[in-house]
Amino acid sequence: MMDKTSVRTLQDLLTEAAASYGDKVYMREKAGKEFADTSFAQLTENCRRVSAFITERTEGRKAHAAMIGLTSAAYLTCYFGTACMGNVSVPLDAQLGAEDLCDHLQRADVEIFFFDKRYAPMLSVIRANCPMIHTYVAMQDMEEEGIFNLSAVLAEYAPAQWTPLDPESCAAIVYTSGTTGKSKGVMLSHRNLIDNTMCQDGESSTEDTTMTILPIHHVYCFTCDILLGLRYGTTTCVNDSMMRIPQNLKLFQPTTLLLVPMIAETIYKKIKAAAATMPDVPIAAIGQGVFGGRLKRIYSGGAYLNPELLKAYREMGFIVCQGYGMTECSPRISTARDDDTNVGDVGTLVNGCTVKIVDGEIWAKSPSVMMGYYKNPEATAEMLTEDGWLRTGDLGYVDEENRVYITGRKKNLIILSNGENVSPEELENKFSGLDWVGDVLVYAEDDGMITAEVFPHPEYLAANSMEAVTEAFKAHVQAINKTMAPAKNIRRLRLRTEDFDKTTSRKIKRTQTTKGEICG
Amino acid sequence: MLEKMKELITQYVDVTPEEITEDARLIEDLHFNSYDFMSMLGELEETFDVTVDEQEMTDIRTVGEVMKYIESLQG
Repeated sequence: MMDKTSVRTLQDLLTEAAASYGDKVYMREKAGKEFADTSFAQLTENCRRVSAFITERTEGRKAHAAMIGLTSAAYLTCYFGTACMGNVSVPLDAQLGAEDLCDHLQRADVEIFFFDKRYAPMLSVIRANCPMIHTYVAMQDMEEEGIFNLSAVLAEYAPAQWTPLDPESCAAIVYTSGTTGKSKGVMLSHRNLIDNTMCQDGESSTEDTTMTILPIHHVYCFTCDILLGLRYGTTTCVNDSMMRIPQNLKLFQPTTLLLVPMIAETIYKKIKAAAATMPDVPIAAIGQGVFGGRLKRIYSGGAYLNPELLKAYREMGFIVCQGYGMTECSPRISTARDDDTNVGDVGTLVNGCTVKIVDGEIWAKSPSVMMGYYKNPEATAEMLTEDGWLRTGDLGYVDEENRVYITGRKKNLIILSNGENVSPEELENKFSGLDWVGDVLVYAEDDGMITAEVFPHPEYLAANSMEAVTEAFKAHVQAINKTMAPAKNIRRLRLRTEDFDKTTSRKIKRTQTTKGEICG
Repeated sequence: MLEKMKELITQYVDVTPEEITEDARLIEDLHFNSYDFMSMLGELEETFDVTVDEQEMTDIRTVGEVMKYIESLQG
């Protein structure tokens, strides 16, 4: 039985998982019509081989290594092989465009880059822009000069002897959207990640199977699917595409699932549609069929789960545990217990986490709270108080039973229903430096559409027809959208002919009394 | 194929079959969210026995474009 005294670092977690669960299947992936399985022992051994490789490449110096790709045993081998040797892992968003990818690599001081083969077309841009990277490793075999293949690394290098790590040392830098427009690198220590992994008990077992769906660079997925799986000896099956969730549920038959509300909502729509065609079959049986037949427990996080949906799932006999957290807290702050029947809250504080409410905002303190933002002391000071409180930016309260309730966002972040955060400033910045643009405000409208409201430069507006102005903005928005992940695309354009309401310091007020006309 | 598309689409979003035309935009007009859309692609794979490439789907906006893409896969 693993506990906090024996497991203090990711290295301890891997070592103990190999000792406790050995040849049991940890990760199950699809390989054509077959399964490709990796055991707990095999994963740990492969990680040690990657550690030996990194040590040789850096001549023993501690370094930062980034990884990009979909969830796989290969990805985790690179991640843990890096962090368990005292190096720092930098998991990157697989949807990043080349420009942002280079920016993240540079700002995190990455020297070694592990990549899924599908990112190979970006290598020339990365090579040109990231001179610090001296080692490129493809997770699947490819033949190109100057590229190492992971399979060859695993074949050639003997497993390294891991030397004990300081739990307070940095294990990972995880990028998160911020209100300042540029994403920030959250530094998570071994202690942070392990605390969040060990803060609850009895959440899973060796009898359980989970299917991991969410992006691996999200700390919610990493802690709750990957690390909890290692702790409890859970077999973790990999959903190979968002397109194939229903098919893969039937194939893998998970007992537990980590979801975001958008996915829970779509699956429920399918269940309802099926129920309408089979009036004699209880909806619980249809629900169970859709989820593969063995599902017991659903964890929901990343965004707020509609209470009606929560009730509907519970009525079908599933345990639904809604949680709340953020990357800066590794991520869990609260989570519902199995026997919880409450609706409206986002779970009970996890063990070791305390909160207080300051001017309506939730402040959290726990061993899971980040070390700070990488090379960004100003942003760190805004987020963390000197005595270690994390300002969550969420408005809410906690009741006498330690249940957490969220009432709103203090920050401007647009939270999409799939849990993705979109920083309006990031999109607004794409309009900067253009002399024909006066001001721009990006926000989500009531129907969830990301809208850019623009005020053209008055001189430009006076010199051109409205049609020409509209077309120019439409074209610019299209160009921006091409560089962004689809979820972050601007879907509506509003054009105004009067300036925005502004504060005394000439900053645009985020709440405007009038709106521009929809023009695209 | 449009009829089959209508049948599938109405299982995911709350629209009438009449609203589903080849020119209808999936997100803006039919109110698909990104996961609805992905799920429907998985179902199209099964229905039409093709393998969809997610990367190639990023530029697709309308019902007609989905149909054209599936037809191109069928050869």
